[in-house]
Amino acid sequence: MRLRSFWLLLTKDCRELAASRAFWLMLIFVGLLVGQGFTTAVRLYSEMSGGGDGPAALPQGLTPLDGIIVPTWGAYDLAATLLFPFVAIRLVSAEKESGALKLLLQFPGSLLTKLGAKGLALLLGWLVAWLPGLAAIVLWKSYGGHVNGPETVNLLFGHLLRGMLAGGFAVAAASIAESAASAAIVTLGFTVGTWALDFVSAGRGGLLQQIAGYTPTAALRTFEHGLLQSNTVAVMLVVTLAGFVLAAIWLHPGRTARARAGWTSVLVLLLMVLSIGGSKLRTSWDKSENHRNSFSNADEQLLKTINSPLKITVYLSPEDPRLMDYEQNVLRKLRRVLPNLQVEYAAGSQTGLFENAADHYGEIWYEINGQKSMDRSTIEEVVLDQIYALSNINVPERQQSDFPGYPLSVQPAHAPILFYLAWPLLVVVFWWVFRH
Amino acid sequence: MTEPVGELRLGTDTGFSGRINYHFESLSAELEQFFRVENLTKTFGRRKVLSDVTFDIHEAEVLGLIGPNGAGKTTLFECVAGLIPAVGSITYRTRHLEQSERKRALFYFADGITPWPEQRVSWVLRFFRSLYSQSTRRLDELINKLKLTELLNSRLATLSKGERKRVMLALGLLTPQPLLLLDEPFDGLDLRQTRDVMSLLREERVAGKTLMLSIHQLVDAEKVCDRVVLLNNGTTVAEGDFTKLRVQANLSEGGLEEIFLALT
Repeated sequence: MRLRSFWLLLTKDCRELAASRAFWLMLIFVGLLVGQGFTTAVRLYSEMSGGGDGPAALPQGLTPLDGIIVPTWGAYDLAATLLFPFVAIRLVSAEKESGALKLLLQFPGSLLTKLGAKGLALLLGWLVAWLPGLAAIVLWKSYGGHVNGPETVNLLFGHLLRGMLAGGFAVAAASIAESAASAAIVTLGFTVGTWALDFVSAGRGGLLQQIAGYTPTAALRTFEHGLLQSNTVAVMLVVTLAGFVLAAIWLHPGRTARARAGWTSVLVLLLMVLSIGGSKLRTSWDKSENHRNSFSNADEQLLKTINSPLKITVYLSPEDPRLMDYEQNVLRKLRRVLPNLQVEYAAGSQTGLFENAADHYGEIWYEINGQKSMDRSTIEEVVLDQIYALSNINVPERQQSDFPGYPLSVQPAHAPILFYLAWPLLVVVFWWVFRH
Repeated sequence: MTEPVGELRLGTDTGFSGRINYHFESLSAELEQFFRVENLTKTFGRRKVLSDVTFDIHEAEVLGLIGPNGAGKTTLFECVAGLIPAVGSITYRTRHLEQSERKRALFYFADGITPWPEQRVSWVLRFFRSLYSQSTRRLDELINKLKLTELLNSRLATLSKGERKRVMLALGLLTPQPLLLLDEPFDGLDLRQTRDVMSLLREERVAGKTLMLSIHQLVDAEKVCDRVVLLNNGTTVAEGDFTKLRVQANLSEGGLEEIFLALT
């Protein structure tokens, strides 16, 4: 299809997006959510920094990414789950219901290209919705707050992929379902399903936990930790694209049910192959300023020399906070460095409250080349020492982290006016201008 | 098929406009081979809605599709346009058209649709004009002939049935495909508007456009169509011009109503 036709279709879809009240409502609510997240985050950060004459936390523990940017942009996770899908559904369903689809199908170009124009329009709409979030970052900077470029851009990239994933799924649901209401139910069902998967698979290991690592919430979490993982990006892109291809298969009424079912099977198969392939990608980049996803350089160099498989057996239940510490401080980093890492979660209960000593509860076993050792600590240095001892490697000299931390005691001045008054007003004015 | 021997262009100063491609040896064959719908069959579940429907569409004619409610007219159009799957064959100049290829040769405008209801008429018209690279002059001409000037600033959702029908007709006539299928083009129009639209469609035919119209008002069909296809219970009852149909219906005189009643 000619570029000009694509441009015209994109213009049409942008106009349709702007004609939908759902889009303008989303913009208003996103502003309110961002405002709420930002003001709360700034106040809490201020308290942690010793504001209000209270004791300050250790400066090294105060990172604007965790304290300000992630909670503020958490509004977009909520929007991608509960608001944006309805905007995307409307973009497809309105054309189905008004009869415009019959014209669209006869326009030049393939259906996938036409859906591509819709996808691009949705992407632009999603970026417009970012304005309050970006304003929050600017506001934070204006308070004298610190913003680290790479980790912030990485987080924004995560939200971009998260939005497109939500859009892709919603477009597919709208194409398959008879009505917008059915599509909304399917989309919400999917979201609740991924939440359940996230919850059920936590600390269980195996295939279920691997799959749960790619649910929208879990995938976004990696970006929130300042990590850019090629496998997460690949799987999110593949699933998003699959949503649009599925929509192209189902949206055309000229295909027989058998043809649709056949093409859907091929797509599912292809999706599985590509997702499994994508999940095998190991390259990742730690974009966090305090390198929270990496061991020290010296440790990483040594760990890379261990070629033998390392098996870790953890006797900690999924709801035990020690397991969460161990996952975040040790396992996440080890998975990035050691390709032959096998983790087994061996606790017999969900909470660990009623385990007894005979069940080895609390133990963590390490095994390399048949040699085993056990420790109960979840502290990074202790765990690494265990691994070095099993591999007959001398413990390197470790340096203290040079991350200074960025305490800042400040009040969220102008934020309530900006997010609760100016932004909704601006949205209403733009909506009125567009209408008239 | 032989290549055209030449092309005769008629300017407006001659009192005619449009062009005639002349093929001398194969003119008759060419007429027969423009579009052909053959053995088109469509079932919904166990219900057969169209059964071996076969007819020809000649170049630069107005062909009427006549039939009672439920005869399968809209389904037939949607099958021909490739919007719903069906068994059968559609050929354009003897070449079989796959479902995906039909949009290059024909355009179908459904009845009762209000595409992009929140957009203004002027934008929708300009969108079609740009999409199909039509001239501004052509658009202005259609706006004038269909009396759309006063509607240009209105949203499609706010138009009456007749107004919407005129806008849809303008959109249809902006498409460059050689064949345009229009489902109930006069539905919702008053007497004067119907006459104006008929006149416009005849002009389009003279300019070389081929039109197939689904019409349930037989009086309208008689006025505007060169030939008709009679559809009843999903089958082609008759096809041809009025003289041929009268013969088929054993009538020495009488209009389409009499022919229709005699044949169905």
